[in-house]
Amino acid sequence: MARKAKRDLTIEQQLARGPIDLPFLALVMLLTAVGLIMVLSASYASAMYNLDAAINTKGDPLYFFKRQFGFALLGVFAMFVISKIDYQHFRWMSVFVLGASIVLMLMVFVPGIGKTGGGALRWVSIFGIRFQPSEIAKVGIIMFFSAGLSKRSGQPAPPKKWSKRTFTGRMAARLDRVGLLELLPYGAVLAVVLGVIALQHHMSAMVLVVVAAASVLFASGISLGWFAAGGALVGGALIWIITQTDYMKARIEIWQDPFLEPRKGGFQPIQSMTAIGSGGLLGKGLGNSSQKHLFLPEEHNDYIFSIACEELGMVGACVIMALFALLIIRGFWLALHARDRFGTLLVVGITSLTAFQTFFNIGVVTNFLPPTGISLPFFSYGGTALAIQLAEMGMVLSVSRQIAAPKAE
Amino acid sequence: MQDPNRKPRRADGRNNRSLFRRTIFLLVVLGIGIFFPLVAQLYKLQIVEHEEWERRAANQQTKSVSVPANRGTIYDREGRAMAMSATVYKLILSPMGVYGAVEKKQYEKDGKLDETAYEKALYDLRKTIVDGIVDLFGYDEERLWKRIERIDSGYEVLYFELEEEDAERARQLISEKKLSAGLQLTPSSKRYYPFSSVGSHILGYMGQTKDSGENKVGKAGIEAGYEDVLSGELGRVVTSKNGWGMEMISGYESYFDAQNGYDVTLTVDERIQAMLEQTLAEGIETYDVQNGAFGLAIDPQTGAVLAMASSPDFDPNNWDVLLSAALKDEVEQVKAEEGDDAADDAWKDAWNRQMKNRALTDAYEPGSVFKPITVSIGLEEGAISMDDHFYCSGSMTAGPGLKPTHCHKKSGHLDQTLTEAVENSCNVALMTIAQRIGAETMWKYFEDFGLFDKTGIDMAGEGGSIFWSGGKEYFTGPYGVQSVASSSFGQTFAVTPLQMISAFAAVINGGHLLQPYLVQSVADQDGNTVFYHETQEVRQVISESTSDKVRGILESVVANGSGHNASMNGYRIGGKTGTSEKIDLKGKDETNDDVMCSFMGFAPADDPQVLVLVVYDTPKRSAPGSNYIASGTYISGGNIAAPMAGALIANILDYMGIEKQYSSDQLAAADAPMPYVVGKELTVAKTAVQSAGLECRTVGTGNIVTHQVPSAGVSIPGGSNVILYLGDDAPEGQVETPDLTGLSPTAAKTKLEELGLFMRAAGVVDYTDASVVMAAQSVDAGVMVSPGTVVEVRFVSSIEYGDQ
Repeated sequence: MARKAKRDLTIEQQLARGPIDLPFLALVMLLTAVGLIMVLSASYASAMYNLDAAINTKGDPLYFFKRQFGFALLGVFAMFVISKIDYQHFRWMSVFVLGASIVLMLMVFVPGIGKTGGGALRWVSIFGIRFQPSEIAKVGIIMFFSAGLSKRSGQPAPPKKWSKRTFTGRMAARLDRVGLLELLPYGAVLAVVLGVIALQHHMSAMVLVVVAAASVLFASGISLGWFAAGGALVGGALIWIITQTDYMKARIEIWQDPFLEPRKGGFQPIQSMTAIGSGGLLGKGLGNSSQKHLFLPEEHNDYIFSIACEELGMVGACVIMALFALLIIRGFWLALHARDRFGTLLVVGITSLTAFQTFFNIGVVTNFLPPTGISLPFFSYGGTALAIQLAEMGMVLSVSRQIAAPKAE
Repeated sequence: MQDPNRKPRRADGRNNRSLFRRTIFLLVVLGIGIFFPLVAQLYKLQIVEHEEWERRAANQQTKSVSVPANRGTIYDREGRAMAMSATVYKLILSPMGVYGAVEKKQYEKDGKLDETAYEKALYDLRKTIVDGIVDLFGYDEERLWKRIERIDSGYEVLYFELEEEDAERARQLISEKKLSAGLQLTPSSKRYYPFSSVGSHILGYMGQTKDSGENKVGKAGIEAGYEDVLSGELGRVVTSKNGWGMEMISGYESYFDAQNGYDVTLTVDERIQAMLEQTLAEGIETYDVQNGAFGLAIDPQTGAVLAMASSPDFDPNNWDVLLSAALKDEVEQVKAEEGDDAADDAWKDAWNRQMKNRALTDAYEPGSVFKPITVSIGLEEGAISMDDHFYCSGSMTAGPGLKPTHCHKKSGHLDQTLTEAVENSCNVALMTIAQRIGAETMWKYFEDFGLFDKTGIDMAGEGGSIFWSGGKEYFTGPYGVQSVASSSFGQTFAVTPLQMISAFAAVINGGHLLQPYLVQSVADQDGNTVFYHETQEVRQVISESTSDKVRGILESVVANGSGHNASMNGYRIGGKTGTSEKIDLKGKDETNDDVMCSFMGFAPADDPQVLVLVVYDTPKRSAPGSNYIASGTYISGGNIAAPMAGALIANILDYMGIEKQYSSDQLAAADAPMPYVVGKELTVAKTAVQSAGLECRTVGTGNIVTHQVPSAGVSIPGGSNVILYLGDDAPEGQVETPDLTGLSPTAAKTKLEELGLFMRAAGVVDYTDASVVMAAQSVDAGVMVSPGTVVEVRFVSSIEYGDQ
C-alpha cells in the first residue's frame, strides 16, 4: 500500500508520524544490548552444564543467549511497529488487551496450554511461544486505567441526581462526593485481574499490577487520601501477615539474617551477596564470574544483576543503574510533555512499572528487600518478557512521536 | 446553575497542574530516589564488606587438595635409619561413582526406564568390584556390600596402606575391569621402623588423632616431639570448583609445593640400644623379674643418650597390639578367670605398660646407687677425706628418739676406710657422712645435682622427682633428721632414672652437670644441617679432683666390693649397686618387700666413655620373706643387676672399639694365637706353645706332632691347655659341649679341656673363691662343636648382702 502523502493526512495522523524520542530509544537499545551481554555471560556456564531438568540446552553454552537474542530482535521490531501506531488507538485497544490477558491467564489452567515453570502454573504456550500472561495483564491494566482516567476532568459531567429522600441515595451522594464511586469501576477491574493472578499464586505479579495501577491513579489526580487509606490497608495487612503467620515470619527472619539457614532459605541471598560482595569496586571482569558456576541459582534470571555486580564491580553496577535512572527520568520527561492526559498517564504507568521492577529486583538481589521473584527489565532471561517490555517501550515511543517539537529560537 | 464551560476549564487546568506535579513527584522518587538505597546497599556489600564476601567466595569456589610431604627419617648416631617413610597407596571406593557409572539413560525405552535391566547392570558392576576386592585382599564381603551401597558417599577408604605390589594388583583390577569410576588409588605414605621394637620408646609411633583426621602424626617419643620438624609442610593444589564440586570450566589451579620434613639424627646408637634391651630382657628372664626393667646408657662427657629402654616395650610398626608374650599371657589369664570385660581392662592396662618409657617418666628410689653422690658431697665440702675411717656396728640412730637404722649387714662392717665403706655399701658410714655434711648442705647439693628439676631432655613426657612434702624447711629442721640420714643412701625420695644418671654423670665426669639429650642434629633433605646440639652444661657441681677420687672408689667397688659381679676382664669398670625399697608401695603396705635391683656403672674408670644404669623391678622371691629367687640367686643389685650391667658395659666398649686394658694377671689370661707345630719334634713344639703363653698336653705316642688342636693361628685364652697329637692319634670329629652349671672356674676349665675345648673366662674370674660359680656359657650344653672351639664362660660371685 502506497504511503499517503503528508498533505492527505489528518492532523492526528501527521502528528503520529512525528520523530520518536531518540534519547529514550538510545537508552532502551543500550540497556537491551548490555542486558544481552550479561545474559550471555551469566548463562553460558549453566547452559553448558545443562543441569536444569526443565530446559535441555544440549550443552550449548550459547543456548540461552541465542534465544534471548532472537526475542530481542523480535521485541525491537515490535517496538518499532508499535511506535508507529497512533497511540490514541490504544484507548480502545486497552479493553481488548486487558480482556485477552485475563482470558490467557485463565487458560493457564487449561491442560495442554498451561505450563508450569519454577514450580508454579503461570505460563501458557501458544503456537510454541511460552509466556506469562500476567506480563500482558500489567500493560493491559496500565492502558485501561490510563484510557479511563484520562477522561477525568476535575468535575465529572453533571453530578448525578441522587435521591436525597432515601438513605441509600444520601449515602451514594456522599460517596460520590468523596470520589469513591468514581473509583469503583477501576477497583472492580483491578480486583478481577488480581483475583485471576492470585489463582496462580503469583505474588510478585500482583505487586507489580498494584503499583502500576497505583501510579496511574496517583498521576491522574486521585485524592491522596485514597492512597493513604490504601497504603495503610496494604501495610496493615502485610504487618498482620508477617507477624501472624509463621511462614512469613521465618522468611523475614531469614531476610534479616540469611545465615540462620545458609543451606536452605538463606542460600540464595547468601550466594547473591557473595557474588556482589566479591565483585568489589571494579569487579572480576566481564565473563569472569565464579558464582555463575552453579553456585548462584537463577543467575541468568532474577539474579542476573548479582553476576553483573560480580563481573563489573560497583562501578559497572552503578553505570547500569544510571542507565535505568536516565531511562526512567526520560520516560517521565516524555510523560510531562505528552500531547494529552492519556499519553501522560500511559507513559507514567509504563515508566513507573519499569522503575518499580528495577527497584524491586535490585533491592532483592542485594538483600535490601525480602526475596520476591521480580525480574530485571531488559536483563533477566526470558524472551517473551523482554519482547513485551520492548513493546511497552514502543508505546512510550509512540507517545513521544506526538510531542510538539520545541520551537526553534 | 454554574457555567458549564468555565468550571471544567478551570478544573481542567487545576487537574493538569496536579498531573504535572504528581508526575514530577514520580520522576524524582522513581528516577532518582529509589537508587539511593540501592547504591548504599551496593556500597555496603562491595566496598565495606568486600573482603569478607571475597573470602567466603574463595572458600566455596576453591578446592584444596593436600599433597603429602615426605616425612623426615630418624637416624641413629651412626646413620642407621630407625624410622623411615615409604610410599604406600590408599584404595578408595566411591559408591557414588559406581552408582553414577551405570547410566539410567541407557536403559530407557521410549522414555521409560527398564527397571530390571538397570538394577541388574548396577548389581553386576557392584559385584565385579566386591568380588575383585574380596579375591585380592580378602575384604569382608558383607561389609563391602554395605559400603558400596552408600550411594551418597564418594569416599570410602578400603585400605589405607597398600604396599606397592598390592597396589599393582589393585591397579590391574581397575584397568582390566574398567572400574576407575568406582575405585581409585592415591599415594600416601607409611612409616617403617626397620629395627622394629629397638628404641621404640624413644622413637614413638605414628597414629591418628582427633585433629589429624586421616593423616597420621607422631604420637609419642621423637615422632611426636619433633612432629613439626619431621612432618614438613603439606603442599596444596588449589583448584577452582563449581557449585557441584566439579572442576570449574575455565578454572585455574595453583600449586603450593610440599616442603619435605627434616631428617633427625639421634644420639642413640641402635646397636647399644639393642644391647641394652637385650640386657633387660635377659635379666628379666634369668632372675624372674616381675615388673619389668628399665635402663639408660649415656655418654657421661656430653650427656648424649646412647640408649634408653624400658621393658616391656612395643613394636612401633604394630603399636596397637601387645608385644611381649608375658603381657599377652597375663591378659589371656584374666580372660579365662574373669571374663571379657575384665580382659579388656587388663589389655588396656598391659598396653599402657608397654607404651610407658619408664626411664623417662617414672621416679624411683635410687637406693645405694645414690651413695657416690653423698660421698662426693662429703669430699667436696671437706666433711670427709679419703683417709677417714668409719665404724659400723650394724645399726645407727640418726637422732635422739629415733629408731635405729640397720645396715644390711646386721653384724656390722666394723672399721672401714672410706673406700671400703662404699665397697661394702655401708649405710651406717653413709649416715655418718651425711651427718657431717649437714642437712643444709645436703639440700643445696640435691639442688645443684639437678634433682629437683627436670633435666630438660629434648623429649616430651619427662617425669619429675618426688621429695619430702615439707621441702627444705622440713629437711633442715628437727623432724628431717631421719630423712637426712636415709637420703644419704638414696631412700625416702624418688628421682627419675634420667635425673639419677645425669647426677651420677656429674660425679664421674669431673663435676659437670650436663643436660641429657637425644637429638644430635637436624638436617634438611639436601643434607644441610639446620640444627646441631652442642653439649649443654647446666653447672659445675663438684670439682675435678673430687670426681677423680670418687671414680677411684667406684672402680674399687667393682674390683673388690659389692659390684664385683660387674667386673669384666680387660675393662676398668667402676660402678655402684643398689637394692631399693619401693617408696610408693611401702607407703601403702608395710609388708610389701618388693625391691628394685639396680646397677650404675661406667668404663673406662679413668676416662669414662659410657655410663650405664640398669634397674630390674621386683625379682620374684622364691617364697614370701625369702631373700632368694627360685633359682637361688640372692636378691640384690650386686647379684642381679651388676652381672648384667657388667656384660653390657663390656659389649658397649667392645663395640665402641675401646682397647682393653689388662692387669698382669689378666694379661696372662689374654688370648694368644696358636703357633703351627705340626711336623715338629715334641720338644720344639712344646717350647713354641709355651712361649706363646699356652700350655699343652699330648695324646698318643711318638716324637713328631701329627695334629694339633686348635689349628694354627686360632686365638685362645692364655694358659689354655692345647692338645698335641703324636703318632697315629687324631682329633675326634665333633664333641658335645658339656653342661658347666654350678662349676667353679677351675672345674669348668678342666671339664672343657678334657674334651679339647677351651674356656675364655669372663665375669668374676677368681680361681680361689669358692663362691664364684658359672653363670652363663656361650655355647649351650649339648651342642656339637669342633675340638678347639673356645667357649666363653661367665662367672659370678654370689654376695649375700642387701646393699640397700
